[in-house]
Amino acid sequence: MEKIELKRTKKFDLPSGVLAVAVSKDATQAVVGCLHGVYQLNLETGEHERLYQHDSYVSSVAWLGEQKIVTAGYDGEVCWFDLAKNSRIQRQKVHEFWSWDMTLSPDQTRLASVTGQYIAGGYKYEPQAEKEPSIRILSAETGELLWSLTHVPPVQAVAISPDSKFVAAGNLMGEVRIYDLDDGTLVAQWTTPDFTSWGIIKSHCYLGGIFSMEFAPDGEHLLLAGMGPMRDPMAGNGKQLWQRWGWRDKQPAMIDQTHAGEAGEGLMETIAVRSDTSHFLMGGRLRGGEWNAALFDHESGQRVASLKTGYRMTEAVYLGDGKRVLLAGLKSQPKKSKQGKFGDFGRVEIYSF
Amino acid sequence: MKTRHFPLNRKPSDRSCGSTEHTLHRRLFLQGAMAAGVASTGSFSGLFSVPALADVAKKSGKKCILLWLCGAPSQFETWDPKPGTETGGPFQAIETNLPGVKISSLMPQCATIMDKLAVIRSMKTEPGEHFQGIDVLTRGDQPRPPFTRPILGSVIAQQLGQLDSPVPQFVLLDPCPEGNEFKQFKAGNWAGWLGAEYGPIRAGGNYSIPNINRLDEISQVDHADREALRKFLSSKFENDQRSEAAASHNAAFNRVNGLMSCAPLFDLKQLPEKDRQRYGGGAFAQHALQARHLIENGSTFVMVANGMPWDNHVFQHEMHQMLVPELDNVLYQLVSDLEDRGMLQDTLVIAMGEFGRTPWLNEARGRDHYPKAWSLAMAGGGIRGGVVHGATDPLGFEVVEGQVDNRNLFATIFEALGVDPHQEYDLPGLPTFYRVEEDAQPIREILV
Repeated sequence: MEKIELKRTKKFDLPSGVLAVAVSKDATQAVVGCLHGVYQLNLETGEHERLYQHDSYVSSVAWLGEQKIVTAGYDGEVCWFDLAKNSRIQRQKVHEFWSWDMTLSPDQTRLASVTGQYIAGGYKYEPQAEKEPSIRILSAETGELLWSLTHVPPVQAVAISPDSKFVAAGNLMGEVRIYDLDDGTLVAQWTTPDFTSWGIIKSHCYLGGIFSMEFAPDGEHLLLAGMGPMRDPMAGNGKQLWQRWGWRDKQPAMIDQTHAGEAGEGLMETIAVRSDTSHFLMGGRLRGGEWNAALFDHESGQRVASLKTGYRMTEAVYLGDGKRVLLAGLKSQPKKSKQGKFGDFGRVEIYSF
Repeated sequence: MKTRHFPLNRKPSDRSCGSTEHTLHRRLFLQGAMAAGVASTGSFSGLFSVPALADVAKKSGKKCILLWLCGAPSQFETWDPKPGTETGGPFQAIETNLPGVKISSLMPQCATIMDKLAVIRSMKTEPGEHFQGIDVLTRGDQPRPPFTRPILGSVIAQQLGQLDSPVPQFVLLDPCPEGNEFKQFKAGNWAGWLGAEYGPIRAGGNYSIPNINRLDEISQVDHADREALRKFLSSKFENDQRSEAAASHNAAFNRVNGLMSCAPLFDLKQLPEKDRQRYGGGAFAQHALQARHLIENGSTFVMVANGMPWDNHVFQHEMHQMLVPELDNVLYQLVSDLEDRGMLQDTLVIAMGEFGRTPWLNEARGRDHYPKAWSLAMAGGGIRGGVVHGATDPLGFEVVEGQVDNRNLFATIFEALGVDPHQEYDLPGLPTFYRVEEDAQPIREILV
């Protein structure tokens, strides 16, 4: 297997930790969702400007055409913003709790956002059933509510298939549900327990789950990312884990997962698949081991490149023709502020293959 | 001027506050328990079906429930929110029934009973690691090796407990067998210089108390006969031989025998289903309800813990979104229940951990240990409700008003419960100890 070298070509610091990034079609601009606001970042010069703020952390961002963006936040709201006019178009309360994740369909007609608060339901802290629909499907253009779909909260990751026909959502307990976006029917459902911890020590409760998901470009497979089980759920030392599932069959089956000896420890929060399906990239936090971002050969699942970025990675985006990749995340928040202002702790970087 | 009080090593019969309410005739008690044993197969409420016993249990003075939030909760996501700031985290603040006072949006139920709670937003303590923090915040002070200061529950059980009660006076409900540093702490010496008899009875989850159920093959009558015979022979031996070992053995046996008589109190399944649902399904909530029942039925101090789930160096907000609402509901239900039963005035409820959490987020989306500025809450039992004591700066880095340390806190707790905070322990040839050292003063503002 040919190894790939990743070389950093750009590095930008941002005032606040980065949770999400979306890149313009020409790969010159990025919109960045941070703990403390939505930023526009020039990927050539690094110039950045804060556009607006949600009432809480910004969890997801997406481009809608060339001049509009859509963002979602831990305030449960979705915002539409016009970059040309530098003004907010619409602000809509979609969930009572956070929007953990939001994505646009590739045809840009629909928007899916997932929510859910983890509330103890049983003695072992099994999650309570949802109090509001965990998945909302909206018209990307108008915000009209198209579907309210059920799941078990908290639902932490969402993806829409390349043909824009299906939405997949994964939760704390490792349950994946896939719905048909045309008629709202549940077309696949399975649970993989490999991403979820129940605290044997320190705390008897659940933690972890599926933190990122992405359909393969052919739409046949779904890639999941997160972290393997831990004895102490607060240790953050589960195995860096991805799994690939074939979901079309009556009984969805796991096809592959992180190979033995290729993973360290830490929560993986982002997974991105290159459009030519040659490889995919998973990244997150390094708790133990050698890397917190790695490329995997799509066919064989073997690791072909790895990086130690030195910060918690929350987003990976392939740029343009797929010869570059944008990685983003955050370092520790500075421990001291000067007159109420902290130093920069958000990071956006570009690597070429 | 401090008052010199009795030495620690006096006889057990001298240790209660002297009220006749603390003394219950054993035979009467056991008769009641046995009579109840028949009646209480479905509900432990039968344990005190003899009215005289129920009255004595309920009138027996001040009690305390400690909701021990081990691992240390974040003050930002509970009592001292800083929404919209760099340190505030993702949750908002909400109005409470105290004008101008806001708490975390994760605590909507407590927001409706803030007039019954006293919140301290200005805790500043020394230890920044769990073991030392747990030690100081459960015992009241730093260790002075080789002397072990008794934990709060042991002191209260000794000072306010009903010595003749079969119901354990100090109970620890904690179903999590391991809690890292809390496990080490639990394995240590709880009662310190008071003696092991004032240590806790531990129950919860898999920690059901072993061998407290009468074997099926032994009838109630047979069991009583055996007990009478054992008592006669051991008392005779104790008297004839003046044997302390026999006395100790008898004390231990009586304790187990007492536990047998109140076994239903430790059976979660016998708690009313409606109450269990109201408190919430999680282990912590269920044991908080059990704590209420234990207090209602004669325990003096119940500590409710659940391992150390609050130590969120990783997944701070993902964990607090679940833990804080559970605490919110538990505190609300507990305070409301105690008030409805006319018990709040005499029952102190404390919700606290061993320190707070950092204003800044670490790289793993967590908050780390922070003893410099943190919060806790109390209600009932000599504490004035509707008071928010102290304040931190706008980002929560420093205490800027009304600083409180562990000594002030313990002086307040003891004062509220009617226990002399400054009692001196005069042990010949040993250093002088005080219940609260350095003459630290209570927070007068929050005392009734």
